[in-house]
Parts: sequence; structure tokens; C-alpha cells
Amino acid sequence: MPSSWVDAILAAGAVPASYVPDASAGRTDLEGFTGADGVEDDELRTYCVADARPLAPGAVAFLDGIEQWRVVGYGGVTPIVRGYVAAAVRRRGPDRRLRTAGEVSRELAITRLDALAEPLRRALAESGVAVVELAEEDAGQPTRAIQAARRELERARLAEERGLAERCLAELGPDEWLVVDGVLSDSAALSAHRRAIGVIKSHGAQYFEGAELERALTLPAGHRTSVFQPRSRGARRAIYSWYLRLWPWEGNDLLYGLLRVEAHADAATVARASALSAWLMRERSPLSTPDARWDRLLYPIHDVETYLRSRAPRDVLSHPASRLPRTGS
Amino acid sequence: MIQTRDPEPIGRVVATELKPATPHQFHFWTANETTIGIGAIVRVEEPGPGKREGGRVVYGVVTDGFAYSDLATPLHDVVSAEGDPARAAESPSVRQEIRLWTAAVLRQQPEEPLQPVPLGAVYVASDADVAQALRMDAYVSGAQPSGIPVGLYTAAGLEAPVYLDADFLLGPEAAHLNISGVSGLATKTSAVEFLLASIFEHFPAHKGRVAALCFNVKGPDLCFLDRPGTLDDADRRRYERLGIVPQPFQRVRYYAPFKADGVNLNTLRTHPDLVGDVEPLVWGLSEVLDFAEVLLNRDDIDAKADAFIDFLSDRVLNKEFDDGFGGGHRVQTFADLDGLFRAIFDGLELSGRSDMWRTHHIATIRKVRNRLSNISTRCKGLVTDDGPSSDLPWGGFEDRTVYVVDVANVDPLGQDLVFARVVSKLREHLERRDLGVEAVVVFVDELNKYAPGDGPETYVRKMLLDISERGRYLGLVLFAAEQFRSQVHRRVVGNAGTTLFGRMDADELATPGYHVLSPAVKIKLATLPIGELMVRHPHFTQPIFVRFPRPAVLRGRDGVERFPPAADLSFEDAVVRQLARLDRRIRPNQVKDLIAERRPDDVRRALAAVRRTRPDDALAYFRRMLGARVAPATAPAREAVPPLNPISEEPY
Repeated sequence: MPSSWVDAILAAGAVPASYVPDASAGRTDLEGFTGADGVEDDELRTYCVADARPLAPGAVAFLDGIEQWRVVGYGGVTPIVRGYVAAAVRRRGPDRRLRTAGEVSRELAITRLDALAEPLRRALAESGVAVVELAEEDAGQPTRAIQAARRELERARLAEERGLAERCLAELGPDEWLVVDGVLSDSAALSAHRRAIGVIKSHGAQYFEGAELERALTLPAGHRTSVFQPRSRGARRAIYSWYLRLWPWEGNDLLYGLLRVEAHADAATVARASALSAWLMRERSPLSTPDARWDRLLYPIHDVETYLRSRAPRDVLSHPASRLPRTGS
Repeated sequence: MIQTRDPEPIGRVVATELKPATPHQFHFWTANETTIGIGAIVRVEEPGPGKREGGRVVYGVVTDGFAYSDLATPLHDVVSAEGDPARAAESPSVRQEIRLWTAAVLRQQPEEPLQPVPLGAVYVASDADVAQALRMDAYVSGAQPSGIPVGLYTAAGLEAPVYLDADFLLGPEAAHLNISGVSGLATKTSAVEFLLASIFEHFPAHKGRVAALCFNVKGPDLCFLDRPGTLDDADRRRYERLGIVPQPFQRVRYYAPFKADGVNLNTLRTHPDLVGDVEPLVWGLSEVLDFAEVLLNRDDIDAKADAFIDFLSDRVLNKEFDDGFGGGHRVQTFADLDGLFRAIFDGLELSGRSDMWRTHHIATIRKVRNRLSNISTRCKGLVTDDGPSSDLPWGGFEDRTVYVVDVANVDPLGQDLVFARVVSKLREHLERRDLGVEAVVVFVDELNKYAPGDGPETYVRKMLLDISERGRYLGLVLFAAEQFRSQVHRRVVGNAGTTLFGRMDADELATPGYHVLSPAVKIKLATLPIGELMVRHPHFTQPIFVRFPRPAVLRGRDGVERFPPAADLSFEDAVVRQLARLDRRIRPNQVKDLIAERRPDDVRRALAAVRRTRPDDALAYFRRMLGARVAPATAPAREAVPPLNPISEEPY
């Protein structure tokens, strides 16, 4: 029987699981394993947050961004990509409704100008669109060029998000928090702010191995890990972080319902890690369905995405039917 | 008064493949907090080349509303609240919601080419917009305006008067009004009272004179139309907005039959302060015989009985007639007719010739006699055996006057008779143009009873059908009310140019006649507050909700409390009261002395003669009509008490 061996391992103690969704892969520019230093505990431990009093800020701003792209033409074999990036902050006040507090968007063309014929280059220049150049080594092969274009687009989105987040921080009220979808450590201002937290739902980067990794990734629902400080390479800023499980993972996968939270690196963060975690546990409701990442996607972040997608140009994404061969003469 | 146009749009038209905008319907969204609701009128402006200029303008009325959130399935709400409804309210964020509305197109400008509604901004309608949307601009202004206020359109903070077109309410283009709704909550009677006041105030001069005739068929509903009712500030403000003076009807004439005693009026308007202006309604044989068909049930209607009744009308009534057995008759009353019948039966029996008299079989004669004597028994007080009649002022109807015929306590057969005869006489006089007014509104409540959709064909129903179909040409306008429109004859309701709906019964709304209404409109109808109506009128392409002020007349229930009906008087006192009403100089004892030991029928006959003649010296005339005093064989001792003050000012 095909399932007999599965039953056997489950009977032997394996935790039932399902597949790992693509969304878990995360950003393409984050390291695979960097390691971390214990802050709250020398060795990673788990804490139940069920009894912690949730932080209840009077107002919260949620920030997220989107990117959309489409190959709109080729100059020879060099793709010309039309990209659109946008970011928005939606503020939630005492009435629990989300309202837009700020937004930015930008359209750009991504290609390798050197590889294009002169009329194409001139047309791009005269159109006034911002052109992002691909590196020479990325432009030779179309597939590679497209991957590179996606990376450029992602960088452009992160830049827009960062800029908007920093402007938002400047306007943040005394009792107001900023929740960013993604890491804080890309921005000095975000990393340094005591009422900004990053919520990371993809886990491409890992900070533990062995028993600590298992402890982190098999965290029970409603529990968090000790606060730790990720080690980083390059220009990333010092930040404190911890894992938090929103929903039971058994029967799904290790990353199901798993968030990593980033906050300012100071003792106060450690002191209120449980309160922050309890607050984020409350944010499970309402569910952000029908998004496939609903187990980790906070509803307000989902709301920002929905808002941005409703505002995006209609013609950036191709309609699937448009790929059908044209019929008739 | 709010008439300023709100320049800010309150919504936007949206169209999808599943919910497209069409020439007759469109969808728009608004903020969650909005004043828009079912029945609200909105204006859509197509973006033109410049801001708010040049584009198509569409007016619509909201017929349905939808609210939904981004929740994919209810299960997800259960999951996020972990199965605890209380926790659902604790979510830190409120889901995104939408208020999506469906509106039916009322009017497009320009009207041609007729196109789908543009995807433009939506505005709350102003006063002017309401007039445009309902096409009232065609008849409210101009050289001969014919607008009759029916109420105020109230939505989104606006109070705009809504007018009916008199040409379509009172003829000749269309006519008649039908009002439906559940008893007690639909305020049907109040609506008609208000509308009559509105008609009297706004009936166009070029259309001539108008009067109303109301049949009071239950309780004290219409017994106090000349008495002021209670109004609050909101009512007065609405009257002012509608251009109607909030006052009771200035001219009301009440008619009621007597009770079986022939002297006490059969009405709830018997309080001493009010009873004086109630005229008796008494009919004799000639008034009844023309409507004998009303008195016959379905089994009776055969050619033989019909022919015999015709014979009586043509050859016998008010003529010198020889019965064929040597007797001469002049039949003017039921008593005379009964004498004729007796002579026929005796003659046939004595002669022993056959069972036939003048081609009529004795069984037919007996049946007709039975039915006719039955009416004088069942409707004693309305139908007099041998007295003269007292009738409505045919030919003398006055402008802006309400004639109330109170038949609330009359036997159903008598009600049918009153109804049939009064309406037939109205029609007859209007056809001859000698009624005194050019148009008469006839208000009939309980149409379910008089014109049911099923059941036997009755004279009353036939007559209502006739009014419905031909009355508009004559100026005979039917205002009818009922609880269940679906159970009224289709042609009666179908011919009503204007239809009002108060609060409706849910079962009634489930009947096929209401399929054109959206579920939301039906719900609104089922929960309509008192004082609000849905109006359908030929100029309005969609039903419109309006609010009307309380009528400025005393409600029947309040009237009975303020003017409690008097207890029935003794025969003598009732006669005294009636005579004193005609001549305030008459003192009770004078009358009592006159009628002591008289036969009541003689007294009634003499009283009717005084009433009909209205002489200067009523007592003298009454004495003369009584004739010579008939002394009783033994005069009973009378305990006469002399008046304490014989020259008192006390009327009787």
C-alpha cells in the first residue's frame, strides 16, 4: 500500500505535515544562514504568550509594498520590462478601520540600453520613463535578464517602502506604532525606532541549527522563542528578533503560521517581547483569506496589499487569455 | 427646508460583466456611513468635457442594497474567532466592507438615444432633481398647473414635495386611487383624509368644482372630519412645505340612517354637540325598487323575478293601478305595495282561476314580496315602510364639501343598497352635469368586501367595475382602500391610475402582483412606519416613498373619546331633539304633549314631513301633519311636572 510507510513513520512519532508553499522562500537577497546571538537567553528557549497582556497601541500604521512587471518588448533578445512598484501606509485608529495615510508608486523600464537599437533607446529616452539598467553580464541571456530585472524591481520596491516608512516614522504619533511587512534592518531609521516592528513571514534566512533550529521551527502555537540578535554581514543594522507561531503547524508544514519579528535592539524590546507577541496573536483575526499566505499574513498588511493592487495600473499584468494564439486572418 | 445641492458626490456607478449598467438599472457604491437608503433618489452625472457639464444626467431610485466584506467564506470568520462569537468583535481590525446599491432609472436626460447609465459620480437628489426625476416639471408649473401634493419625499436629509397630476388622479387622462395596507398600521384612512384636504386646496381652478363622498363603513373613522385633530411641529412643518393649511374640513355634511326605532340616528356621531348636523338618510319604496337587484341573492336573479320587478317599477309605482280584481291602488310606499300584494293573493285565491297574475306566477310574486319586505325589516331605519324619504342633496352638491354617509352600523344588505344607490345617483347626475360639482371623489373602504376578486357577481361589484372603467370621463373618481390588493377584482385595481401602499402584510407581498418589486422594497413595505407610503403614479416610472403629515382632523378613536356618543333617547325625547334642531323655540313639553298616545308611525311620518319641508313654524307644521288627535279609550293618568322655568332659554 502506498501510504503504509507514511502511516508507519507517523506511528513512529513523525509529525504529520503537508507541502511548503512557495511564499515561504522569501526574498532573494537574504542570506541562507548567518547565525544569531542569544539576548534574552543564552540558548534559544520557548515562551508561551497566552498569559501575556497584549500591547494595545491607540493607533497603528501598517506598511507594505507591491511590485508588478511584464515583458513589454524585446530589442533583439534583450527583454524590455515594464515594472510598477508601490508602497502604502494604512493607519488604524480607535475605530479599528484602516485608512490610507501615505502612498508612493513608481513605474520604470528595466533593460540593458547598450543592447538595444538606437531607435529603441531614443524612444525610451523621449518617453520620460525611468530606466533601470541591467548589468552587462545579466543581459546576454533572456532568462537571466528577466531574473535580473525581477531583482531590480524588488530593489526598487524596497527603496520605495523604505522611503515611505521613514517619512511615516517622522509623522508617527506618541502612542502610535509602525508595523512593516519585512525586515527593519534595511533602514537605519527603522532599526533605531522604538515603536517600529518588522513582521517577516518568509524564512529564506536561518539563524540557528541543530536543536535550536528544531526548537525554533517546531514552536507550538501561541509561543515565541527567546529574543536573539541575528548576525549579519554587510551593512545590515543591529536588530533584535524572535519567532512567533500564530497557528498550530502540525498537519501543515514547519513554517506554517510562523513569523519572525524584528524590533529595535534594546532592553525594552526584550521586556515587551511577550506583550508584542500577544498583540500579534490578536492580529490573527480577522483572517487574511483568501490569500494563500493567510497563516502568516496579518489582515492589515493584506489590506494594504489589496489597496495597492486596486490602485495599480490595469495593464501591467497580462490577462491569461491574451497568450492564446490569435485566430482568424 | 433643505434645498441646496450637495456638490460632493456620495457614490460612484460601477459596472461589471455580472452587474452591468443598463438603460433601466445601475449599481453604485457609497461610503459605509451614508444617508442613502431604499427609496432614495439619486442623480448620476456623466463626466463631460468639463467638470459637471455636457454629460448625460440620469435620475434613479434606490431599489436594493448590498453590504459585504472581503471575507471569503463564513468559515473563515469562525476560524478567526476560534468559534466564539464574542471574540469576533474583539478583532483589532474591521474588515473592509462595501455598500453597494442598485437603482432603477427614473429618467434620463437627454431621453434619446436611450443608453446604459454612464459610470459617473452619484449625487443626492435636490428638490429640483426630484421634480425632474418624477417628471413633475410637466404639470407642477406652467399656465395651468395641476399638481396635487401627496407627501414629502424624505431621504438623505431632503424633504421635497411630491405632486400627483390632477389630470391623472381625478380624470380625464386617468383616475382613481387605490390604497392597500394592513389594518391599523397602513394609515389608509388618514392618507385619504390628508389627500382629500390636499385636493380641496390644490384642485386646479380650470377643472371646476370638486366634492367628496365618503362611506363610513366601520367605527367612527370618518365621523369627525370637521373637528381639529392633534398635530405636532413636524406635521405643521410638512403642511407648510406642501402648501396646505392644516385645518379640518370646512364643509362636511353627515348622513346616517335611523335605528330601528325610526328616531335615533344610527351613527357614533350622536354626542349632543354634534348630532345636530347629522341628516337622516331614509329611503322609501321608489328609492329602493330601482335597486332591487342589490337585494336579491344570486339564486334569486332570474328573468321572471327581474321582469316582475320591472313591471312594478314601470306600471305600478306612483300610478293609479287596477289589480284586476276590482281594486284600485296607488303604490307609493312599502305599505301600499304590501296592500297590492295582499289584494293579488286574495284575488287569486277567491277567483280560483289559476296561479298566474298578469303573466307573473304567484311563486315569483311571493318571492319578490318576500325580498322587498325583507329589506324593510333588515334595514328598518334606512328603509321606511310608509314614510317619505330623506336623501342626499342631489343636484345641490357644493364645492369643496365632504359628504359622509355613515353606514357603519347598517346591515350589510343595507350597506350594499346605500352604496349602490348613492353611486348610481352620482353617476346619473354627473352624466347630466347637474350634480352641482364637476368631480366627485367617492371613498370606499373595505374594497375586499365590495369588489372581491372571486366570489359571486354582485350588483355592487359590477357598479365598482363600471366606475373604474368609465368614471374618469364623468368626473366620478373612486378612492378605494383594502387590506389585500391581490384579492380585489383585477379590473378595479388595474384601472386605478394612482396606487398607494402603506405597511403591507408579508403574505400579501408574496403574491404575484408584487413580483416587480425588489426584495428590499418589499421589506421596506413590510416595515413601513406610520405616515409613510409608497406611491405609484403614471408619471413616476418607479414607485416612490413619501411621508405625509397627520390629517388635521380628529381621529375617529379620539373623537369618540372627546365626544362620546349619547345613549339612545326615548322615542319622545328623540322626536323633541329633532324638532328642536329645526326650530330652537320649541320646548320639550309642547312636543311631548302633542305626541302622547300617538302611533309612532304617525309621529315618524309627521316628523319626516317637517324635516323635508323645513317650515318656519316647525311645531305648527308638525301638529298639522299629525292630524286630528286620536283620543285613547282610557287615558292613563299622566304625571306631568310643570317646567321650573317656562321661559327658560334652554332649547328644549
